[in-house]
Amino acid sequence: MLRLSNLSVSYGGLRALEDVSLEVNEGEFVAIVGPNGAGKTTLLKAISGSARVGGGRLEYRGRDLTPLPPHQRAALGIAHVPEGRRIFPSLTVMENLELGSYRRAARGRRAEGLESVMTLFPVLQERRQQAAGSLSGGEQQMLALGRGLMAAPELLLLDEPSQGLAPRIVEQIFETIDRIRRASNLTILLVEQRVVEALELCDRGYVLETGRVALEGTHAALLADPRVQRAYLGA
Amino acid sequence: MPRDRGWLGIAAVVAVGLVLSLALTERYHHRILTLVLLWATMGLAWNVISGYAGQISFGHQAFFGIGAYVTVLLAAKLHLTPWLGMLGGAGVAVLAAVLIGAPTFRLAGIYFGLATLAYPLIFRILMDFLGYQEVAIPMVRDHPVLFMQFEEPRTFDLLALALLAATLVLSRLIETSRLGYSLRAIKENEQAAEAMGVDAFRCKMAAYVLSAAPAALAGAIYAHAILFVVTPDGVFGVIAIVQTLTVCLVGGVGTLWGPVIGAAIMIPISEILDTTAGDRFPGIQGVVYGATLMAIMMWAPEGLFWRLRRRPASIARATPVATAPGTAEAPVTAPAAPGPVLLEVRGISKAFIGLQALSEVSFDVREGEILGIIGPNGAGKTTLFNVLNGFLLPDRGEVRWGGAPITGLQPHVVCRRGIGRTFQVVRFFPHLTVLENVLVGAFAHGAAPAAARERARASLGQVGLAGQADTLPAGLTTLELRLMELARGLATSPRLVLLDEPLAGLSADGVELMAVMIRRTRAAGVTVVIIEHTIQALVKLADRLVVLDHGRRLAEGAPGEVTRNPAVIEAYLGKRWLARHAPNHAATLQP
Repeated sequence: MLRLSNLSVSYGGLRALEDVSLEVNEGEFVAIVGPNGAGKTTLLKAISGSARVGGGRLEYRGRDLTPLPPHQRAALGIAHVPEGRRIFPSLTVMENLELGSYRRAARGRRAEGLESVMTLFPVLQERRQQAAGSLSGGEQQMLALGRGLMAAPELLLLDEPSQGLAPRIVEQIFETIDRIRRASNLTILLVEQRVVEALELCDRGYVLETGRVALEGTHAALLADPRVQRAYLGA
Repeated sequence: MPRDRGWLGIAAVVAVGLVLSLALTERYHHRILTLVLLWATMGLAWNVISGYAGQISFGHQAFFGIGAYVTVLLAAKLHLTPWLGMLGGAGVAVLAAVLIGAPTFRLAGIYFGLATLAYPLIFRILMDFLGYQEVAIPMVRDHPVLFMQFEEPRTFDLLALALLAATLVLSRLIETSRLGYSLRAIKENEQAAEAMGVDAFRCKMAAYVLSAAPAALAGAIYAHAILFVVTPDGVFGVIAIVQTLTVCLVGGVGTLWGPVIGAAIMIPISEILDTTAGDRFPGIQGVVYGATLMAIMMWAPEGLFWRLRRRPASIARATPVATAPGTAEAPVTAPAAPGPVLLEVRGISKAFIGLQALSEVSFDVREGEILGIIGPNGAGKTTLFNVLNGFLLPDRGEVRWGGAPITGLQPHVVCRRGIGRTFQVVRFFPHLTVLENVLVGAFAHGAAPAAARERARASLGQVGLAGQADTLPAGLTTLELRLMELARGLATSPRLVLLDEPLAGLSADGVELMAVMIRRTRAAGVTVVIIEHTIQALVKLADRLVVLDHGRRLAEGAPGEVTRNPAVIEAYLGKRWLARHAPNHAATLQP
């Protein structure tokens, strides 16, 4: 479904990604783990179009994504739930969710989408008229996830959904992601710092280290591989 | 620009001014020439504080008006000759600059500019209140020369030309002095400038005072040459600052030629439009003037000077430094036996609203070591550096340097005591050469320009950038910019240098070369403390590591020990990873 071949991305002369090749198959849940600064966020940005690809190929359903601006990639069904949530704090929960269904294919299914999001996150139903900025961190993450789902995506890109959240909330978020995936057979590409949580959920994983793919494998293989630790600690 | 070419340029401006003054015959043309020279002076004065130092002043006509009012009032009330009166005016303007600057420089960026809007308004109201709505220059027919009342219009040209020449010389001196480099550093990045030993407040104050005096003198001459009757609107009004800004923006900011070029073009256009088109189609002069201004600004948004200046052929070519001779054979000295404690960090805590960035962090830095400080993002590493070099005051705890407390000292003082620092994001001064970019740091210990240049050149040599010293930094690679940043830190002649993520984002070769340079720095007797969030590179480079997590010191020790430390593994990979891969350790961690 998604294929990256020898992808490179640079920011002002800094090489954030170098020769990264990976693929995500239809219905698959793929996790990318690695230490800070490894280029995980950049990878998602390159896919959704907010980072310019410097070299290599980026294909989605056999189509070259690189010439498309971000909004056209969203129209193809790629939803990006960014790091740090990026909800619209002064808008209400409902307004935030409605903005998520902006994509043409999603507009018709707004009511349906809203219902499934509210079922997944009952707390959002309770707070539907509240300003999104007044939600707790965990609720905001749920809102960001919900907004991503409102686009009725085919490929969901999740960037560090656990960031800045208490362990108990993190568990809840990961459980929800698991539920979403079981319920809808959605294709998910997850970027996470929390190695074990991410690897336990996914089908396959990649370990990114300073802009390169250091390791790849099934979740079981990676979970057992001491080399993952080396990517983080260098020894 | 080479030194002598600057002086030649000033001589050329004076020569052109003299020729025009002698050649022109009509009184009206002399008036235009006088105006060009005066507004060029005013633009240059503004350029000192706003162009070089980047402190945009929207109220600079305050000093222009003070000069005019004080001079004329002294003549009218005390019969003081304006030749002395204008010096008095300049004196009052300097005093006003100190009084205005002291509170206003506490504001940063656009807020400073907005605050300066207030001062000319205050003076206007004050003049109205004091009953000086109209102050005429007293006619003194028996001593016209003594009272600056010349029949011959040429005299005012020459007077204004002399003032312009003096202001050009002043600007030139500032540009090439320690003050000038400090101001440009402040404009680019005030924090970085302070970390390089620049006392930002004093420098800005000096620039403000130096820009107030010529503005006041220009105001005094303007009153005698053009106005004859001084009104609050005429000298404190908005037209004065608009004229100043126009000549600077059209000509170019941050260079002494900009205001001269801008005035030479815009003032004649404005005057000629007034008398030609304005007669027949009232109001059309404003439209044409505005259109001209817009056309110039669209073609040359940075001003005509920067647009027209031939790009010097010497933009740094991206020569791979790695292959430069001399860098390969790095003095890889084995870590010397740890020296005495140089820097003691004791129980530092720092909280921001709702976030405990650092809690009770203590460690020592020993002379001659390379100490790495690592930790995941948000661990408090940069906050720690900011406390160490004086940007932040800790809530609790103490930093001791060679046994003496340095907590609470200003960053430039910390720098002068011998703690240098680099920044993760390199902000360079695009119009200065690589050498000049490094020069600011070399002034930290009050060196003379020549000595500072030597010092800067030596630091560039130390990092292998000697070949690029006289080129512009625009063409440098990221690696070379990082090396330049290291040279900036070294130019302050530190005993200890704090390096903020010098390796982040570099390629493997880049990391290798940077590591060589850092070892070389240590070999030259400078103690090194490095922040990184990735451990890999530091494991090989550092003698010891301190690990921070959530603002606490998690571990400290030799790299090999630290990376095996269960607490560190947990911080980086999580408790559950630890439970899987080192169950024994995990068990001992359970309370």
